[in-house]
Amino acid sequence: MTRLFAAATLAAGLAFPAAAETFRWSSTTDPSTMDPHAVSSTPVLGFLTNVYEGLVRRGRDMTIEPALATRWEPLPDGAGWRFYLREGVTFHDGAAFTAEDVRFSYERAASEASDVRSWFAPVSDLVVVDDYTVDILTSTPQPIFPDSIANWMMMDSGWAEANGAVAVARDAENFATLNANGTGAFRLVSRQPDLETVLEPFAGWWGEVEHTVTRAVFTPIQNPATAVAALLSGEIDMINPVPVQDAERIDAADGTTVLRGIETRVIMLGFAHDHAELQGGGDNPFSDVRVRRAVAHAVNVPAILQTIMRGSAEPASQLVPPSARGFSPALDSRPAYDPEAARALLAEAGYPDGFAFSLSCTNDRYINDEQVCQAVTGMLAQVGMTATLEAMPVSNYWPELRADNFDMYLLGWSPGTFDAEHPLRFLVHTAGDRLGTWNFGGYTNPRIDELLPMIQSEIDDTARQAMLDEAAATVQDDMVYVPLYVEPLLWGLRDGIEVTQRPDNFFVLRWVNHR
Amino acid sequence: MLSYIFRRILQSVLVLLVVGLVAFAMFRFVGDPVETMLGQERTVEDIERLRENLGLNDPFFVQYWNFLVRAVQGDLGISYRQGRPVAEIIAERLPATLELAAVSGLFALVFGIVFGVFTAIRRDGWAANAIMTLSLIGVSLPTFLIGILLIYVFAVELSWLPSFGRGEVVQLGGWSTGFLTQSGLIALILPSITLGLYQMTLIMRLVRSEMLEVLRQDYIRFARARGLSQKAINFRHALKNTLVPVITVTGLQLGSIIAFAIITETVFQWPGVGLLFINAIQFVDIPVMAAYLMLISVMFVGINLIVDLLYVAIDPRLRS
Repeated sequence: MTRLFAAATLAAGLAFPAAAETFRWSSTTDPSTMDPHAVSSTPVLGFLTNVYEGLVRRGRDMTIEPALATRWEPLPDGAGWRFYLREGVTFHDGAAFTAEDVRFSYERAASEASDVRSWFAPVSDLVVVDDYTVDILTSTPQPIFPDSIANWMMMDSGWAEANGAVAVARDAENFATLNANGTGAFRLVSRQPDLETVLEPFAGWWGEVEHTVTRAVFTPIQNPATAVAALLSGEIDMINPVPVQDAERIDAADGTTVLRGIETRVIMLGFAHDHAELQGGGDNPFSDVRVRRAVAHAVNVPAILQTIMRGSAEPASQLVPPSARGFSPALDSRPAYDPEAARALLAEAGYPDGFAFSLSCTNDRYINDEQVCQAVTGMLAQVGMTATLEAMPVSNYWPELRADNFDMYLLGWSPGTFDAEHPLRFLVHTAGDRLGTWNFGGYTNPRIDELLPMIQSEIDDTARQAMLDEAAATVQDDMVYVPLYVEPLLWGLRDGIEVTQRPDNFFVLRWVNHR
Repeated sequence: MLSYIFRRILQSVLVLLVVGLVAFAMFRFVGDPVETMLGQERTVEDIERLRENLGLNDPFFVQYWNFLVRAVQGDLGISYRQGRPVAEIIAERLPATLELAAVSGLFALVFGIVFGVFTAIRRDGWAANAIMTLSLIGVSLPTFLIGILLIYVFAVELSWLPSFGRGEVVQLGGWSTGFLTQSGLIALILPSITLGLYQMTLIMRLVRSEMLEVLRQDYIRFARARGLSQKAINFRHALKNTLVPVITVTGLQLGSIIAFAIITETVFQWPGVGLLFINAIQFVDIPVMAAYLMLISVMFVGINLIVDLLYVAIDPRLRS
């Protein structure tokens, strides 16, 4: 095996006579655009975080730290936030970074065509105080505003104007779709969509260089088996993600390891709270909290994690993972696996013989999602709830849920702000045009609706946490969702390279080190 | 003659229009593109506005009509996923597919004929039997499995060949070619074998059975009686007469090589139009799907049209 491996590295060296510290990595999805405001998705924002920077950024442990702003403070009376900008920062084309660029980036990112405009929903205005100070005014106090704009990236106003990229490139192509000009540690050297994107370190970067990369090449590889082969053969230094079932093999192979971590996405089961009838006819049992609790007791989460996730994921008790801000440590226990209790609860609710319903599920969105649903179906059948599994691709899934064609469904939620308020806003608040947009089941609770705006504007951390605890307890008591587990992060890595795995699944090149 | 050609062309156009109509009627079952285009913090308002902008609220035949009107003006629309003109994206990706298809077709033809002739002449030799047995694998194993198998043997275990991609390419005008660099040529080997294996087996079996048929004919026997060398009989007399059906089948198979490239391109991350199409389905990128389907049907209809016209040229009875 060692001889084979030696041959492998030799051949790889012959086939790719690149510089020693060229770093090649791959992921299943190509960032669809280089425009930092056009698409709010992990592949795009995670890639562009290497090229563009925001006022603040997240550190290795997800804490907020200074980036293009050196410090910030709340304005009196919760009127907004003041950011003090870093001086001497230049964009990749040499232009200086000033408050004007912040203003331009705000107007661009908050415009109608932008996909990140929801970050600026509470913002009423942005005032340039001087060249290196800006005030962001908000209509209500916003205690976690700096956290919520960690991915808001700064674009040079002069560059955008000169190249016709002032508007967000979404429905039509513009210069920013294929080109980038940020302040980040890496600059975009070449961009071929779906093929190859090359980055090189930016010599004029303001920060201290911690990496050993001289050139970084990103190649999307959609087929997971091909990506694994490319890693094993030495053509690629890092792949994300590693299929759960291949992790052991990569670990066992010479020269490669799997870096395991926990993501921020919680996988849960949701219910049709407000439907009068099931899809197949008959009363809707899921409007009864005892039935929902029975589901929680009937699903054997440790078994799912052991078999389908091969020990990689962690059980979840709330709608956010324990690492998120605002998580309630006191409520960190999920209902135990107890089929007897489940049966008793069903009998109490008036379904001693169980009932039949449909379980909707994606088959291409989350890690092994369809297998998880099959396992859930089997486990529920043991207590008398016979589910018909309806698995479909995600592009059909959301329209089905939005059209109320479900009884019970699988959902994964990753809190964009990394804060416990996020799922309350989208999953638990009464469904409406702007709030509760993912509350497909139609759960409604006046107390949650009352708590949400208070949580959003509470400056005092203790008071805020108390309200988040109360909301988390309500969600648990009402069993609005049954949280199952937090998805794992599995990156395949070539030996001799150090990377940092951040829970938001962003791959940060400036933390890549060759040993 | 002229009216025959005119009628065939008219029929071809009709087929194209029907294919497009069916495609557009199906797109709504692929899913809602808006859901994948917007981030999770979208509002209902955002969804509605985007649907309206993209014309997705129109009935499918209206969408189809709009597509046709723009398409005849050379505008294939903007990709939902990449936000770039579809015509530009397809022009970028088409050379990869065409080069792969050409090499696979050549591979299938050359090896198919050589093996076919060999197995026909040495009907009972062990080598011929081995080739026949192995060729069963070619027809029975699915393409993606063959691809993965080749990757594991030649890329992972032996490290002789790359596991994905096209290697380095050279731009010649608007055409990116992998024929001019060493890494580009090496990268072609595994995908073309994967893609061409099925066609090779097909041609091989066709040549073999035709050849066996021809070798039984009287004129072969007479040639032998004339004292001609075995080589002259096999290649000048027998092979020549087996090639007519082979050429017909090969021509028709060329279309399916390009269409079947989807799977091979996915396995090898080959940046052609097939991979683009797979991506488009996952993302519900309707403009790209529509353009690809139209492209493939134009190609198939075109090939069939040429074959039909060739028949006219060959068969005098059709000309009257």
